[in-house]
Amino acid sequence: MRKNRSHATVGAHAVAGVLLLGTVLPFAWMVLSSFKTPAELNGADKQLLPSGLYLGNYEAVADTNFFTYFLNSVIVAAGTTTIALLLAILAGYGFARFTFVGNRGMLLIVVAAQMFPAVMLAIPLFITVKTLGLLDSLVGLIVVYISFALPLCIWLMRNYFLAIPVETEEAAFIDGCSRLRALWKVVLPPALPGVMAASVFTIIQVWEEFLYANTFIDTDDKRTLSVGLNSLIGEFTTDWGRLLAAGVLVMIPVLAIFGYLQRYVTQIASGGVKG
Amino acid sequence: MSTVTDSPVADRSGLTPELQAARRRKVRRQRLAPVLYIGPAFLAIAVIIGYPVVNAIGTSFLDASLLRPGQDTFAGLGNYLALFGDPEFLTVLGRTLIWASSALVVQLGLGLLIANTLNKKLRARGAIRTTLIIPWIVPTVLVALIWRFMLDPVSGPINELLRSSGLLDNPPIWLADTRFVLPVLVLISAWKWTPFGAVILLAGMQQIPQEQHEAAMVDGANAWQRFRNVTVPAIRTSIALVTLTTISGAINNFNGIWMFTRGGPAGATEILTTLAYRTAFTQFDFGKASAISVVIFAMMMMIAVVYFYVVEGRKGGPR
Repeated sequence: MRKNRSHATVGAHAVAGVLLLGTVLPFAWMVLSSFKTPAELNGADKQLLPSGLYLGNYEAVADTNFFTYFLNSVIVAAGTTTIALLLAILAGYGFARFTFVGNRGMLLIVVAAQMFPAVMLAIPLFITVKTLGLLDSLVGLIVVYISFALPLCIWLMRNYFLAIPVETEEAAFIDGCSRLRALWKVVLPPALPGVMAASVFTIIQVWEEFLYANTFIDTDDKRTLSVGLNSLIGEFTTDWGRLLAAGVLVMIPVLAIFGYLQRYVTQIASGGVKG
Repeated sequence: MSTVTDSPVADRSGLTPELQAARRRKVRRQRLAPVLYIGPAFLAIAVIIGYPVVNAIGTSFLDASLLRPGQDTFAGLGNYLALFGDPEFLTVLGRTLIWASSALVVQLGLGLLIANTLNKKLRARGAIRTTLIIPWIVPTVLVALIWRFMLDPVSGPINELLRSSGLLDNPPIWLADTRFVLPVLVLISAWKWTPFGAVILLAGMQQIPQEQHEAAMVDGANAWQRFRNVTVPAIRTSIALVTLTTISGAINNFNGIWMFTRGGPAGATEILTTLAYRTAFTQFDFGKASAISVVIFAMMMMIAVVYFYVVEGRKGGPR
């Protein structure tokens, strides 16, 4: 039996190795190639490694609107996360602590709200945003992004608040604390991991979002990263060097944030089952 | 539980009118509290989700075009009849189902393999799990950039590798070939989305008591038998959840396909979402586009109902 087990472990290591290779290799290839000269990228003699640390591709990124796209994404992510979380903390607390008529029904609506196809919302939202005069503005984009950020944030916050014993805030009430103050001072601090998780999830989704940003933004200066980089791909498909350098630059902050908050990310993904 | 008032008996009998009024105010405030907390979020959901959904369903019964603003006419089931009488739409509907079911097969299969591997005593298991999840957190536009480069016929390494290894003298231009483009996109989207399912499946597997595996081992079950008869039944809920998220994610996929192929070449990767988008924002036929999106919505609802029936029904109701 012992032999059998070590056999299985060897197999598992082999499978893990193949999976790791398949995951890492494309990223590694992008990073390596971003340091290749145009001749090396298009030349017939393909080399695995770049001949030197050629930085021309990175310099070329500065000639595009890349950093404007980047900044726009940061603005939209910050705005969406702040507003969605403020609303979700209140609502999540409300769902966790009050029983009232329509409680379950409203919670069901929150869950169902995550299931509507984005394309379905895009058409009426387009008309609404246009009527409000918010077409081609980052503010309009933030308003629209709350539609996908808010339901998930409410759900996450509710689950975190449920795990916090009611006694913590009851003690604060006795000390003369109002409910809102107790929520802020006593209930929220232990639920901070939930706030972090909800923020990470919102930021990932905003970073990713393409459909609405592509539809509601016309001016190049207001494009977000997804749309901006995608337009560059269309424009420079033969100039891979500059695109790959831009890709590496997109990758760095994503990996930095992920490395720092990695446990929250996996926690949510697995939280789906524990609910 | 924690009453601050002196004595409940005295409360009921001899309360001064002022105190009674104060208590009534307090009760009213408590009744109002849920409204104050949930109200703002709910209003936001009503305005930016509820209204658009109702509006989209309504528009699907109209002959509405952005080119003729203010001249919408009632079309009844006209848009739907036109769609289901159109062989091209039926092809796209069929392709959407093929796309979603192949995504499910690949992602669930790979997800189970990954989860089962990570559930073993591996060296640096945490680091491996973290690395494998990276494609999931990376934005789709980066996935598109990387894989378009990998598959590029001139600069990309994949065709170069196929040529130099002698496997294929004339490898196809994968994303421009109507025969290969859809399977290639299935694989690339699996590359991005499988880790998410794997984490869910792994969480389910980690809740299986070790004794169950040991008991099966004592009974002489091999690894595959243990996986089939111990692991899979125990993580039924996780499998159902991954099935639901994979199918709905594939049906709802827009970003990936639009960034890679925009539904092309020659419509080979057109699914319902890209068709709805094209109909709305390049043909400006909002009525027809809304009808397509309602069809997508109906498919999503069917999946949700099946999921709740299978999973929650068996567990005996949600939470």
